[in-house]
Amino acid sequence: MTALLRYQTAILLRSRRWIFPLICYALLIAVGAAGSTSLAETLDWSGAMLVPVVAFLTRGMLTAEPDAARACVAAAASPVRAQLAILIVPLGTGAVLGLAATVFDVLTAEAAAAAPASGLPGKVTAAAGHPGILVAGLLIALVCLLVGSAVGALCNPPLLRHPAAAMLSTLAAIILALAAGVSPANAAIGHSTAQAATPLAATWPGTGALAGAACLLVVTWGASVVAATRRDTWSVSSG
Amino acid sequence: MRLEAVGKRYGLRQPWVVRGVTAELPAGWLIRLSGRNGSGKSTLLRVVAGVSLPSAGKVTGRPHTGYVPERFPGGLPFSGREYLLHMARVHGLRDGEGRRRVEQWLERLGAAGYADQSLRSMSKGMCQKMAIAQALLPAPGLLVLDEAWTGLDQAARAELDAAVNERVAGGGTVLFVDHDQARLAGREDERWNFDGTGGVKVMSGPAAHAVTPAERFTIRLEAANAADVIGQVRAIDGVRVLSVDPDADGRERP
Repeated sequence: MTALLRYQTAILLRSRRWIFPLICYALLIAVGAAGSTSLAETLDWSGAMLVPVVAFLTRGMLTAEPDAARACVAAAASPVRAQLAILIVPLGTGAVLGLAATVFDVLTAEAAAAAPASGLPGKVTAAAGHPGILVAGLLIALVCLLVGSAVGALCNPPLLRHPAAAMLSTLAAIILALAAGVSPANAAIGHSTAQAATPLAATWPGTGALAGAACLLVVTWGASVVAATRRDTWSVSSG
Repeated sequence: MRLEAVGKRYGLRQPWVVRGVTAELPAGWLIRLSGRNGSGKSTLLRVVAGVSLPSAGKVTGRPHTGYVPERFPGGLPFSGREYLLHMARVHGLRDGEGRRRVEQWLERLGAAGYADQSLRSMSKGMCQKMAIAQALLPAPGLLVLDEAWTGLDQAARAELDAAVNERVAGGGTVLFVDHDQARLAGREDERWNFDGTGGVKVMSGPAAHAVTPAERFTIRLEAANAADVIGQVRAIDGVRVLSVDPDADGRERP
């Protein structure tokens, strides 16, 4: 498995499929940090933006390897492990991005915390030094990371092979994942700050969201792996 | 290794590309697949190689596998040498050993001077050599060659013939498709004929004929110590396959 992960990571780095998601995420985080009024809002924003970034990173990896090269790897190491490696690499990349963004959010919020706190959003910002806030931020990022990976696995080859259909459904699924009430990502970022009693409660994503995101990941990855072991050709030129 | 009633189709409403293939793949056998274009040879090769799972039946006892696809268009962001080093690791070879074998196969296939080119800029023949080298790196117990000779120069074709003979001599099973009927002619132990409607007929090849005229004996042996008897029959010179029915029927084929 280590060899497969190394091979897929090399494909990600050498194909430069990481550059665009990285720049986008960095810009989005900068915009979020500049535009939001409290740390709770910044952490939610950083998590939410991880969904499209990880979904498109996953799409990039699922479309990077030509069919023939993937077949050689599958024969050498089993198609199941080959597919898992393809999915794990963008998940790991997203985890690094989410970690970096959360730490960045908390560190930059501390400077602002010197200002007098007013209302709960202010209190969350003031509590930025509290380790619980950092953990809560990381959990928000984790939920969004899992949801983003699930969206990428579900809406792209081998499950959805037509390029236009894959692209449009990835976009639609990202919007749904962020806006629909049933989505774990929405639950993690969309809680009402005003109703929470403490800064920690305002930030904490909830175990339901985490469990939901984990279930989504298992189901979509499972479907992607099953399809990968049954289909030989992922690329289609027309409908 | 064994195929039991193996079938493959790409979707529940799709027609069967191949179906009902039952065959033994003994160690040290060379098996030729023949049939016209589109008769399902490549599909069955992919199932045998473990690239995709069969839709029906099962494949058991597959050894470590090297697979050479019909076309290898490159397309990866590596040089040939980098790609092969990655594949050596994927095949489970240690770095030093992998590096040694990569250089050995590049040399044998006459590709050492071109291996630092990007896979994207390589010619068809050179890409094909990379595909062949990655499959041969681990000296696989099962080697699956899907028209691997096409696009190769004369020297590389001869080298691939030699590599196939080495694998067979070393106890590996080799399956191949090639539209040149002279390719490894007279060497194959078995020939699988694809009829174009999904059926595959397994016939013994010239190499099996070379031992004695190809015949299939069904011998009924009733013995208390069946295991001993089977061992003795297997030890008879010239017995190539011995399959034993669960109801104690022994079948051998010289």
